[in-house]
Amino acid sequence: MLRGRKENTSTELQYRALSDQALIRAFVLPTIVLLVFVNIFPLFWSLILSFSNFTAKFPLVWGKNPKFLGIEQYIRLLADPAIWGRFITTAKYVILSVGGEMILGFGLALLLQIKFKGREVITTLLVLPMTMSPVIVGLMWKLFYDPNWGMFNYLLGLGKIDWATDIKYNLYAAVIADVWMWTPFVMLLALAGLGAIPQYLYEAAEVDRASWWHKFTKITLPMVWPLLLVALIFRTMEAFKVFDIAMGISGRGATAPQLLSIYLYDTAFVNWKTGVGSALGYIVLIMIIAITNIFIKYLNKAKQ
Amino acid sequence: MKSKWSIIIAVIMAVTMVVTLSMVGCKTTADETTMAEETTAAAETAAEETTAAAEETTAAAELSGELRIVWAQWAPADYLQKLSEGFTAETGVKVTIEQIPWETFVQKYNAEMIAQNDTWDIIVGDSQDVGAMATGGHYVDLTQWCTDNGVLDSFTPASMTYYAEYPKGGGQYWGVPVEGDALGWAYRKDLFEDPENMEAFKAKYGYDLDVPKDYDMMLDIAEFFHDPDNDFYGIAIYGDNGYDSMVMFAEQMIWSYGGDLGDYSTNQVKGILDSDASVDGLEMYRALFQYTPPAFNDAFFVKANDAFVAGKVPMSCNYFAFFPGLANEATNPYAADTGYFPCPQQVGSDGVKRQFAALGGQAASVVTYSKNQDLAFAWLEWFIKPDVQLEWAKLGGYTCHADTLASDEFLNATPYNAAFAKSMEIFKDFWAVPEYSELLTTMSATVGPYVITGTGTAKEALEACAEEWTRIFIEAGYLSE
Amino acid sequence: MAAVNRKKVSVTRILVIILIVIITFVYMVPLLFVIDTSFKPWTMIKEWPPRIFFKPSIAPYIRIFTARTVYPPGTTLTQEQIDNMTWYQKIVYQESNEEIVRRGDFPLRYLNSLIITVVSTAITILMATFAAYAFSRFKIRGKNDILFFILSTRMLPAVVVLIPIFLMFRKLGLGDNHIGMIILYTAFNLSFAVWVLKGFIDEIPIEYEEAAMVDGYTRFQTFWKIIVPQAMTGIAATAVFCFIFSWNEFGFAFIMTKSRAQTIPPWLPYQMGVLGYDWGAAAAGAVLFIIPALVFTIILRKNLVRGITFGAIRK
Repeated sequence: MLRGRKENTSTELQYRALSDQALIRAFVLPTIVLLVFVNIFPLFWSLILSFSNFTAKFPLVWGKNPKFLGIEQYIRLLADPAIWGRFITTAKYVILSVGGEMILGFGLALLLQIKFKGREVITTLLVLPMTMSPVIVGLMWKLFYDPNWGMFNYLLGLGKIDWATDIKYNLYAAVIADVWMWTPFVMLLALAGLGAIPQYLYEAAEVDRASWWHKFTKITLPMVWPLLLVALIFRTMEAFKVFDIAMGISGRGATAPQLLSIYLYDTAFVNWKTGVGSALGYIVLIMIIAITNIFIKYLNKAKQ
Repeated sequence: MKSKWSIIIAVIMAVTMVVTLSMVGCKTTADETTMAEETTAAAETAAEETTAAAEETTAAAELSGELRIVWAQWAPADYLQKLSEGFTAETGVKVTIEQIPWETFVQKYNAEMIAQNDTWDIIVGDSQDVGAMATGGHYVDLTQWCTDNGVLDSFTPASMTYYAEYPKGGGQYWGVPVEGDALGWAYRKDLFEDPENMEAFKAKYGYDLDVPKDYDMMLDIAEFFHDPDNDFYGIAIYGDNGYDSMVMFAEQMIWSYGGDLGDYSTNQVKGILDSDASVDGLEMYRALFQYTPPAFNDAFFVKANDAFVAGKVPMSCNYFAFFPGLANEATNPYAADTGYFPCPQQVGSDGVKRQFAALGGQAASVVTYSKNQDLAFAWLEWFIKPDVQLEWAKLGGYTCHADTLASDEFLNATPYNAAFAKSMEIFKDFWAVPEYSELLTTMSATVGPYVITGTGTAKEALEACAEEWTRIFIEAGYLSE
Repeated sequence: MAAVNRKKVSVTRILVIILIVIITFVYMVPLLFVIDTSFKPWTMIKEWPPRIFFKPSIAPYIRIFTARTVYPPGTTLTQEQIDNMTWYQKIVYQESNEEIVRRGDFPLRYLNSLIITVVSTAITILMATFAAYAFSRFKIRGKNDILFFILSTRMLPAVVVLIPIFLMFRKLGLGDNHIGMIILYTAFNLSFAVWVLKGFIDEIPIEYEEAAMVDGYTRFQTFWKIIVPQAMTGIAATAVFCFIFSWNEFGFAFIMTKSRAQTIPPWLPYQMGVLGYDWGAAAAGAVLFIIPALVFTIILRKNLVRGITFGAIRK
């Protein structure tokens, strides 16, 4: 204690740095520890599991359950054409829903550039779907799609198409609901981007009598592009993982779209193939990391 | 001053950390206290039992505590809750019935059993799951208890086999049937008895329109009524291949035509599941399915009932548990004109007449990890009493108690009870091996495309299924390669 | 010329506004249909063509709050029995011939949702404010790496960590448990909250603190008396975000909980009764469930962009 006081009086700065160190530790450590406990530790655990045939359904017997298969499990999974079929379906889902969201969201944002009374009310209304629970959105759309009493077919005059569970349509049903829910997300980001474009750029273009198209491609798009890319990254990552909307609409099993995420859930928590589920999870994880990295590289380029 | 502050902060943060992170620890202690409570409670009841010299039924009066039963979230669980008030009145033991949505019910109690939790004392579990639960050691062997209490005689033999026995034919019992269930049929009497329809039918097919006597006749009737242009269709049967709906109907057809899903005692599948008789059955399923309303490829009990209530089909196949919805005049405009019949007989290609109904329903089993097994047994002993079984049936439960089933009081209580009583004699269940959920999935996947869209042939579909099942059994070690 | 031009501009302007209003209305249709359905009498729900206008019924809201069994066929109640019913029993009886046997699980699940969401949000905000302050104001070795690590935990597909968490919580008895869910949701939101709050705190000029510290404030005092009040808007916005995320979360709740600590999202879709799937009750439950999220969205609208991009974009 005495020594501490001495340091305190002699070198104020050094003391403060020391006390700060304690403060930092106290402030940051709980967060780190919790995240390690709930994220990192399980992440390694599932990595280990992914090399085994462990099934949580039966008691632990070392050498039998789990038995370690090494890389064999991954090879088996990646050689399974059914998994690739699911991967393609998932890719379709991601491309269609994210693509739709980008186009519609950006379009809406362009329209909403006009300032008028009640604009804020409109924006808030449009944003509502985004803040609902995906599974409730799925449930809502399931009701909306119902071929026998739902409003969707009725309003569009489509006859009795069974959107939710016909294998031909259920993927699109999930895509439409996903687009409905997440278009506002892209719209908000695009609006933020549009709002940040300095007005003088347009004024200068006006002086040059530039066409609308010219202004759009030469000013608007390049300026908003980085933000749209951010939206793209976020949405792609999410769409890869999503299973609540599709599950809310079509349930699980064969009537649901054959998405990897739903299959993963079934494998791990219905058939209790814990090891296989973990390996699948890792495959999804690696795919997400790869795709986001490509986007982020592109984003950094766009920013320059 | 400053160092004091940093110490205080460190202490606060440490507390936060302890509170947030070591909640694990807190929880364990909390658990321990509840567990301690439970153990004392269990000890008390045990002590009481010993003082009561463990005389068979005398202990019942001195029981205390709470009996926790888990079942799916549906009306029969509420009936059971109501019924159990009688038990509470007799013994003072509170009975709680926890209800879990059907969609996750089996999965959730499995998870709990794997963790060896004593969350419940009795599970009213799905019939197919008895194998997984028994081999996993989660259920208490009730063979001796069943013999002692005469359950084997008082309940219908078929119900004991399919709800309680595992392995089938092995003479070991793991449960007491609570809710019997099977596939049955509802039909529109007004349409079947309409003179114009009867005349037209006779003219077309050369015999009288009536409740179908076999599946060939059913097919004719479905074809006769099928009129998509007027939004009316021939028949409502399951088409969903998500969990077990499609498989239930498929197995029923296969059995009716003399085929089988395999040999339940030797696990031999090839040559049985893909036999010609099985193929006949599946082909009839496909034939009938063509007369279902649009979008029936995911039809399960909800859609089947909805189509019937909407007046779009003349007949519909469903579990008996869902017929109260059809008999309800407030929600079904055709309730008064609705009749019921059990699954029809069928003469197979070998000339033998068979009648089968696919089984649903659940049995009550005692959980190995329960600390209130004495309560559980007391409840079961009470539940199997004839008067309680009659009360159960009156409330709307589907009893498997033989005498109750045969009583006039039961048969006349509802329009569908007679058909139900008949179905209890002809029902049969799917595999009950622990791997049954995989078997369900693979059968749905292989047979589904053929039944719904006519992809490939029935033979190919069943051969593919037999192949997959054999692989599963080899992996599980039941069959050698 | 200019006048014509202005006129043209104002015409297109009005057209665009009309277009926006129409789009917004179309966009709201699924939501309106659910609200509509939540007031439909039982027999009208499954009608074709779907009805939009009808005499509204409160029965779906009663049904979501109760568990019922249907009166066995042939049961006729005496006038006296009917007279003795409470108003809600009577409505349900008259509409679908059902008897209310007990209170439904809805209120309990709703309460679970509230408890888990509110407590986890509070803990998240507490921990995140501390951490965000430290990251914003101090030089920390490998700060960017740590921050990236924090962010990356949010980007993980939940399913990958879900399996071990499930096994771990099962062992610890945290499975169907409020505390378990609170820990999960806190961790789930923490990365997000740290990032957004760091952004808010970064914006507060460091001069305030320096002035305060010259006046003899300690670090903690400056944090508590200067930073926290200044960042209050940001903290509130972040809290609302955490609330919405936890409130809506499905995956964890679906797998971890079964009854005691189950929240609304994994429970609401399963409204199966003897009479079939109860769309009315499901719609009524959905309406009641989305109300808090809607209210918070309206409160939050100014900070939405910032929130959804983890604070990367400041408006």
